[in-house]
Amino acid sequence: MTWRLDTDVQQMLRESAQAFLADTGGPQHFRAVRAGDAGFDPATWAQMGELGWTGILLPEAVGGAELGLAPALTLAEELGRAISPEPFVAASVIAATVLASASGEAAGALAQDLASGRRSVALAWQEETGALGAGGFETTLAEGRLSGRKVHVPAWHAASALLVAAQAADGPVVVLVDPAAEGVAVSPTRMTDATQSAEIRFDGVRVADASVILSGEAARSAIDFALARGTVALCAQLEGLANALWRRTADYVQQRVQFDQPLADFQALRHRMVDLYAAIELAGASWRAAARSLEDGGGANRLAVHAAKARCSDTALEMSRWAIQYHGAFGYTDEADVGLFVHAALRWASWLGNATAHRRAALALHERGEGIG
Amino acid sequence: MTEDLNQLDNDEFRARWRGWLEANYPPEWRIPIIFRVAGDEERRWLRMLYDAGWRAPAWPKEYGGLGLSLEKQLIYHRELEDFGAARCLDSGGVLLAPVLMQYGTPEQKARYLPPILKGEELWCQGYSEPNAGSDLASLRTSAVRDGDHFVVNGQKIWTTLAAFADRMFMLVRTNKAAKKQAGISFILVDMKTPGVTVRPILNLAGEDELCEVFFADARVPLANLVGEIDQGWTVAKALLGGERIANGGPALSHQAFEVLEQLTAGLGLARDAGAADRRAALLCDLHDLTALHAEVAAAAIRGSIDQAALGMMKVLATDLFQRVSEEILCIVNEHAGVLEPIGIAGVNLDLRKIFMVARPSSIYAGANEVQRNIVSRMLLGATSR
Repeated sequence: MTWRLDTDVQQMLRESAQAFLADTGGPQHFRAVRAGDAGFDPATWAQMGELGWTGILLPEAVGGAELGLAPALTLAEELGRAISPEPFVAASVIAATVLASASGEAAGALAQDLASGRRSVALAWQEETGALGAGGFETTLAEGRLSGRKVHVPAWHAASALLVAAQAADGPVVVLVDPAAEGVAVSPTRMTDATQSAEIRFDGVRVADASVILSGEAARSAIDFALARGTVALCAQLEGLANALWRRTADYVQQRVQFDQPLADFQALRHRMVDLYAAIELAGASWRAAARSLEDGGGANRLAVHAAKARCSDTALEMSRWAIQYHGAFGYTDEADVGLFVHAALRWASWLGNATAHRRAALALHERGEGIG
Repeated sequence: MTEDLNQLDNDEFRARWRGWLEANYPPEWRIPIIFRVAGDEERRWLRMLYDAGWRAPAWPKEYGGLGLSLEKQLIYHRELEDFGAARCLDSGGVLLAPVLMQYGTPEQKARYLPPILKGEELWCQGYSEPNAGSDLASLRTSAVRDGDHFVVNGQKIWTTLAAFADRMFMLVRTNKAAKKQAGISFILVDMKTPGVTVRPILNLAGEDELCEVFFADARVPLANLVGEIDQGWTVAKALLGGERIANGGPALSHQAFEVLEQLTAGLGLARDAGAADRRAALLCDLHDLTALHAEVAAAAIRGSIDQAALGMMKVLATDLFQRVSEEILCIVNEHAGVLEPIGIAGVNLDLRKIFMVARPSSIYAGANEVQRNIVSRMLLGATSR
């Protein structure tokens, strides 16, 4: 019962991703990254660079693959299935979308580093917990000095490059900031998906003109587009995760025997598994519709993006709860791999807006006249 | 109509169909969800379609239908829904015709298909029995051969619009020795046959569309057997694509959601945070169901859809329709207990009926629990015992 239609490029990527992640991704890799201090594995990131994944959205001119959103989402789906802690969404979708619309040497050099997998990049845009999308910024750039505070900066690690969205006198800007520069104070927090996120304060940090990579309307629309794409990519990861968790749970209930029969014989459980499967199908259809709406560009229908993040977040969490339940007491142990998926789901479902926030945003758009599709 | 509608591009096809509806659809019937054309109104509607060249989108042209591609069939249904047309059962055109086309004799096709097309003869479906609902194969109404007739005895129930029907297509047991599905046959019965009586059943929506039909030594010509004797179970499974897929669609949920929005505005509830969160959830559900239905329809157009997918869509679509109807009753407070149509927030609504009309959707056409069983067999395999 599947109606996914991959293009040749997507099919190739999917197979290559499945092969690579079978060795390098999955629970074992997740545990290894979780056990470290960095929340980031530079070796795996570099390998993904060699495969062309880290620069999948970047122009060929900077060494990117320039494949566009749909193939990037195929990758996101597979990375989700493998609960990859790599900063694919944060760096290769969100930051890359911003970099791809910037020009100038600084942006070009960073894009090359990202495309090759030498570096990862984070975009610091958010200033309030629970914010959906970038409105105005309290963080300011005035007379070459950056001041303000950013929260929930994703996929943080010490060697990450940092892009910061700020308000300048004549409109928004995106600036490249050295995290080691004087006046930058980073407070990292460990997240449930084995990554770290950071709160970052900027206290009069000196920013050279050459480090302003985008400004004005170009900056505003690039950030907006980057976050929309990142949200959809995160949806694909969540759906991939939910799918993998469904499969694991189905395998388990078919093997586990109680009362002289496999758990999978019990109708209460069978019906629940059908409902979960249907929810995952809805999630897939929802983010694919959102992706199409972004690819069409122009009057992008963001209602679809909001609906998708709401659905994918909820579905991954619901699948998580039932995966624990159906694995029984074993499912509650750290030794069982299901818990790793649940932990990743907690982070991904809440990052870039949780289900409730996105549903409210969808309704607000609808009541301003956006169609349901 | 001599021209081939399939040759039109989709937008032109949609515009032309919509244009015809706007010019010709009786405005008094534009009560979606609640109203269903039945009896003489159904005859009139089908005849209007026939005369204008819009009848039977899924029927092949050789039988006088439009022979539309599945894609255009789905547009056809979608436009009807968006227009707010009343429901129409058309059991003959939707349920019986594909059976006759596949299994009927030339004489049967020539006798029965044209009057269905022209709206001259209405049919009802005699499947369910008092003890054979979701477990249809346990049906007991018998047909015993006597010369060149079957003698039919037993009872059908939940036969929609039987009181208005000219004929019934029904499943009967012709072999009591064979196992469940094996001894069933598919026969056609004139409702005026002596020994056939119809008793309408009042339902919770205040309608008497559902009926019991009793058979006491009703004599049915052997020539009215469709397909082979004892093979009725196989025969009954013949279907045309479009209607099946439209059934799993979001149309009723969309229409109900529009009612919810009208009421929300009229009652001044737009800023009620609780109601807004519930409405937001339903809105997103509707969006996602629409997206999934579009994927399923596209897969069906490619010819790669299975029973389990349709079962899943049926569950999702009926569940959402019910939840939207429940929310409508939630926000109207005391009005939820009003038995008759009332003017509320500038809209004239039969609230009880909106709630009740949604109830049987999870029961008919294979109860949702049965659908889940079907889907689970595909996903998890059969149970071990």
